[in-house]
Amino acid sequence: MRHYLHHLLTALLLCTFSSCMEWDYVDRESFEAPAHGLFITNEGNFQYGNATLSFYDPATKQVENEVFIRANGYRLGDIAQSMTLHNGLGWVVVNNSHVLFAIDPTTFREVGRIVNLTSPRYIHFISDEKAYVTQLWDNRIFIINPSTYKITGHITCPEMTMESGSTEQMVQIGDFLYVNCWSYQNRVLKIDTRTDRVVDQLTVGIQPTSIVADRNNKLWVITDGGYEGSPYGHEAPALVKIDAANFCIEQVFTFTKGDRCSEVQISSDGSRLYWINESIWSMSVDATSLPTTPLIEARNTIYYGLTIDPECGELYVADAIDYQQQGIIYRYSSQGELIDSFYAGIIPGAFCWK
Amino acid sequence: MKRIVLLLFTLWLVLPTHAQEERVDHKVSIREVEILGQRPMKEIGVQRTRFDSVVMKENIALSMADVLAFNSSIFVKSYGRASQSTVAFRGTSASHTQVLWNGMKINSPMLGMTDFSMIPSYFIDDASLLHGTSSVAETGGGLGGAVRLESRPANANGFGLQYIQGIGSFSTYDQFLRLTYGDAHWQLSTRVVYSLSENDFEYRNRDKTVNVYDELMNIVDQYYPIERNQNGAFHDFHLLQEAYYNTGRGDRLGLNVWYLASNREMPWITSNYADQTDFDHRMREQTLRSVLSWDRYRGATKWMAKAGYIHTWMAYDQRQDLRPSESTTTTPTTDWADGTMVRSRNRVHTLYGKLGSEWTPSNRWFISADVALHQHMAESRDKTIMTVQVDPTTGKQRAVVGYDESRMELSAATTARWRPIEHFGMGITLREELYGDRWSPLIPALFLDGILSKRGNIGAKASLSRNFRFPTLNDLYFKPGGNPNLKHESGWNYDLGMSFSTGKSGLFTLNGSATWFESWVDDWIIWIPRVQGYYTPMNIKQVHAYGMELDASLEWQPARDLKARLHGTYSWTPSINEGEPFTAGDRSMGKQLPYVPEHSATCTAHLTWRSWSLLYKWCYYSERYTLTSNASTLTGHLPAYYMSDVTLEKGFRLGWADLNLKGSIRNLFDEEYISVLARPMPGINYEFFISITPKWGKKRN
Repeated sequence: MRHYLHHLLTALLLCTFSSCMEWDYVDRESFEAPAHGLFITNEGNFQYGNATLSFYDPATKQVENEVFIRANGYRLGDIAQSMTLHNGLGWVVVNNSHVLFAIDPTTFREVGRIVNLTSPRYIHFISDEKAYVTQLWDNRIFIINPSTYKITGHITCPEMTMESGSTEQMVQIGDFLYVNCWSYQNRVLKIDTRTDRVVDQLTVGIQPTSIVADRNNKLWVITDGGYEGSPYGHEAPALVKIDAANFCIEQVFTFTKGDRCSEVQISSDGSRLYWINESIWSMSVDATSLPTTPLIEARNTIYYGLTIDPECGELYVADAIDYQQQGIIYRYSSQGELIDSFYAGIIPGAFCWK
Repeated sequence: MKRIVLLLFTLWLVLPTHAQEERVDHKVSIREVEILGQRPMKEIGVQRTRFDSVVMKENIALSMADVLAFNSSIFVKSYGRASQSTVAFRGTSASHTQVLWNGMKINSPMLGMTDFSMIPSYFIDDASLLHGTSSVAETGGGLGGAVRLESRPANANGFGLQYIQGIGSFSTYDQFLRLTYGDAHWQLSTRVVYSLSENDFEYRNRDKTVNVYDELMNIVDQYYPIERNQNGAFHDFHLLQEAYYNTGRGDRLGLNVWYLASNREMPWITSNYADQTDFDHRMREQTLRSVLSWDRYRGATKWMAKAGYIHTWMAYDQRQDLRPSESTTTTPTTDWADGTMVRSRNRVHTLYGKLGSEWTPSNRWFISADVALHQHMAESRDKTIMTVQVDPTTGKQRAVVGYDESRMELSAATTARWRPIEHFGMGITLREELYGDRWSPLIPALFLDGILSKRGNIGAKASLSRNFRFPTLNDLYFKPGGNPNLKHESGWNYDLGMSFSTGKSGLFTLNGSATWFESWVDDWIIWIPRVQGYYTPMNIKQVHAYGMELDASLEWQPARDLKARLHGTYSWTPSINEGEPFTAGDRSMGKQLPYVPEHSATCTAHLTWRSWSLLYKWCYYSERYTLTSNASTLTGHLPAYYMSDVTLEKGFRLGWADLNLKGSIRNLFDEEYISVLARPMPGINYEFFISITPKWGKKRN
């Protein structure tokens, strides 16, 4: 009997000793990014922690993907929502990781972080010591001190609960900051940056997704109109022109109900608007009607993100494809001719120019 | 590692010595060799994997997800300990696996899938897998297959009681109680499972670092923290009441009622930088499942009727503690209740009924027919938003994002099996389904079964079927994104298999099988994000899955008191996207579906000597892609992993009770591994069980 047991247990031991898994460890790489380039925040899939950061050099047409994990040795996190440069640092907002990373935009190394945010979306700098962070599922805009990496307070937004809370992009004209409220919201808030209080609000249409300011100090907001069956309502999307001085709607350019409008952007001189509505559209900020032909026609693409090169006016358009593979970025001239294309990360959603 | 090696060597040396001292008689025997020609007519051509009671009961603290992971070729996708675990056959998805509990389908009508982490193995007496085509005879919609779970009468004589206490790592306490009563007509059983755990296992988090700052807030050092699984505690309560009545004249009545109440925190992903004390993320569920069954046997005919009811209430909450902390200068004077970020509520009522009949006019024919009805009434309240509507009860302005829909699902099937000669049988099943007002096309399934050689019991099987799966209620109605224009998924699949069975009575049995399968699924439904920020389901993919399943088992009884059993499985499952490009940049065509391993294998070795039992379990999954393009990236890589568990058990027969002591080691080699991105899994962990079965009023031996 001992003989049999010997054989069996020896076999067991041999079998188990072979059962070691190889784990991948990330070696930190050194980067030296050029002075001009494009950061792409790739959202990744919700709850999978696979957000990434890409950097594209327009001069060499070279892209480096996953630069955050390659430079730092750990993941960027879950849903990289946006990135903003300020005072020589890049601030990456990682929505479902509840964190803001400050990185060196040349080496991509982290230099600091702010944690324990609710669900951060965008950051806007008021000064070197004060910035606002908008949020989803929260009726507060957080106030942070970028120099100490601390949350210092918050601004409570009116007529929102935590559950229905949604504040998005921010633009500043003088002492006032304008914020579009998106998810199940229909307003633009006006905040006095001296007192950190909401001083006014304006109803613009169902679910304004993005906001920019033009050279005439006019605000432009694009709405998505909600969705069919929404208890909040469903209407035709619209491009809304707001006079910032009087904080009133100056003109509404209405699209067709069911159109998929998003991502209003503006040229660096504040003279031309761009947005996504299946195709890429553009018009002057002084136009009185919507254009009838797109600048870049959708051709077997699903455009998700858009940015304009502030130096040359070239357009970069992100196609997230099936949202479960690396999305592709198309680079077009300002006249809409394809210059380059490259793959970034999963769901390339936002851009930041260096 | 050293401790484990030491333990095994100690057992190796010590066991025989103890064996000589053991005086309690524990008879061990091996199963008879299966004779293919004597298989039931119902099984002609059927590819079924059946789990024996040893597998089901070896560690009763396991969920069915764990049992399937270590003992079958199907893929178990686990989001972590006591977190959602789904199973998928042959390269299909979890919603292509139909799950039947005592004949009643228990897939969520809203999600289409079943969470196997919510099914305690303690409640399941008979489990089997029906691969591919073989599921058509039981239910529709199983494009991958079906899992059949049954509870059985305890065969008690008088009163019986069993209590098992488990104490394990991470403050885990498992309690099991079974009360039984039986006589010539009645069999009553009450089973209770109550599991609670802090589930705060430690792991090295390589997805983030902790920063060390100097006084100027410069980072001077970083390290990967050893963290505890945050927000992972759970309390699961299950109660199963069974009553069976046998008239003794061919009629059997049965009632099975299963109530579960679960309160589980939702473990955080590895790249979460929030303060655990500030957030609460929780899933609660209360489900009642009940089936009343009646079986009548009259000569060559069996009549069967079932009626059932399922009620499921699920709550998903995400809250933030808004009470002031040191980091905020402005004072929000609110509490948890005001910090609700997500408040989702789902409620489903399902009425079930089934009528069926089986007729065996001769030993060459078997004919059956059945019709099953599921009437679902589902209410989804996903989010409360501000709007102009006024709630009359509260006076508050509110509205809810969600849906309230019902659907009737009718499924009828008829089957004929014919065995014209002893060595050959064939069968056909025709099924028709009605979901709401949509009829499925006719679902045919053909089966062939033959014996190639009596020597070695070498047999061959083949089956072919067409199958369909209707969209779930969420696919159709979820707000936002539900798509009422979805088509049903459709597919063809076939399999060809060979098996053998040999042995020597009283010494050993050796069984093996090899199956080749191939399936095509068109209009595969996947959820795609929209630019408006929500997901919507679409009929996107065409998938071609094919591959091979191998299964072998050896039982060996070298001595009267010693038995060894080895069981192994292996699957090779390419599952290829053959659809059209989604957009011009799509690189997913011709690629393996994400999260479907191409190779997987399991092995169990079970050694029984008198009242001792040693079980070693091992499973393997090859690398899984997380991207549809199969690109291998740093952030999208799931390395292959092996997992090993070992259990040692000793039984004692005392005058007043039977005692059983059991120790289990899971993740024996303390592997760092993940099954799903960003979901930590526990390292080596232990659980100890003591089982007491008093001998009330029974003959003491």
